[in-house]
Amino acid sequence: MRSVLGGLVEGASRTTIVDLEAGLEHLSRGTARYVDTLLIVGEPYFKSLETASRSFALAKELGIGHVRMIANKVRTPRDEDSVREYATRHDLPIATVVPYDDAVVEADERGMALIEYGPAAPSVAAIRGLADALLTSSAARGGQGGH
Amino acid sequence: MKIAIGGKGGAGKTTIAGTLARVIAEHGQPVVAIDDDSNPNLALTVGVDRNAASTLDGIPRDMLTERTDPDGSKHLVLAVPAEDFIDRFGVAVRDRLTLLVMGGPNHGGSG
Repeated sequence: MRSVLGGLVEGASRTTIVDLEAGLEHLSRGTARYVDTLLIVGEPYFKSLETASRSFALAKELGIGHVRMIANKVRTPRDEDSVREYATRHDLPIATVVPYDDAVVEADERGMALIEYGPAAPSVAAIRGLADALLTSSAARGGQGGH
Repeated sequence: MKIAIGGKGGAGKTTIAGTLARVIAEHGQPVVAIDDDSNPNLALTVGVDRNAASTLDGIPRDMLTERTDPDGSKHLVLAVPAEDFIDRFGVAVRDRLTLLVMGGPNHGGSG
């Protein structure tokens, strides 16, 4: 079904959000061509950041325009500093920092959507901020569906 | 907007993808959340019963057509407009938000 994914992303006039297979190796050129923003989720430890960095390189090869990192499960100011320092050193722009949040684990344990379990949880607040930023920059680029 | 979310397994990409889809739909934009992971869990994070979200593995073949690339490789492409396809095979999660699950654990595994 992978070849169909590219056609779906290409042809959809509504906003598309694709949850990719883990690791970018499966992201085909056919799909990447139609993606305007790739968000790479990384955690604040060295191995995860190294993986994110490799994904950035791959995304660049595939020609994706906007590639950003989401620093997830950030527990302490020190975590955040180290992620930001790594990101700056390796030229990986950060879209947002999502704090570590017990609500994520608790929602999962209950089999619930995070946004329903903790609509005001800190992680959800960070994702709301990310959505605002994405919508603003999309509007600046010419709106929904624009290339 | 055409957004893709990647990352290592366990990094939290599915939770972020599902929540982001919900939030953007709340902003008034129609959204399709597409689960391309071979271990599909996006249904849970957008807030729909996983069992309600069947995969595309069993879709009627007349929805797809085979295309041959200039290099001779063949692959399946949509035979109908993407929006029609999403309306027909997507699961309505709530207002303005539709979920599409590409495939189950075996999808893509055999080539």
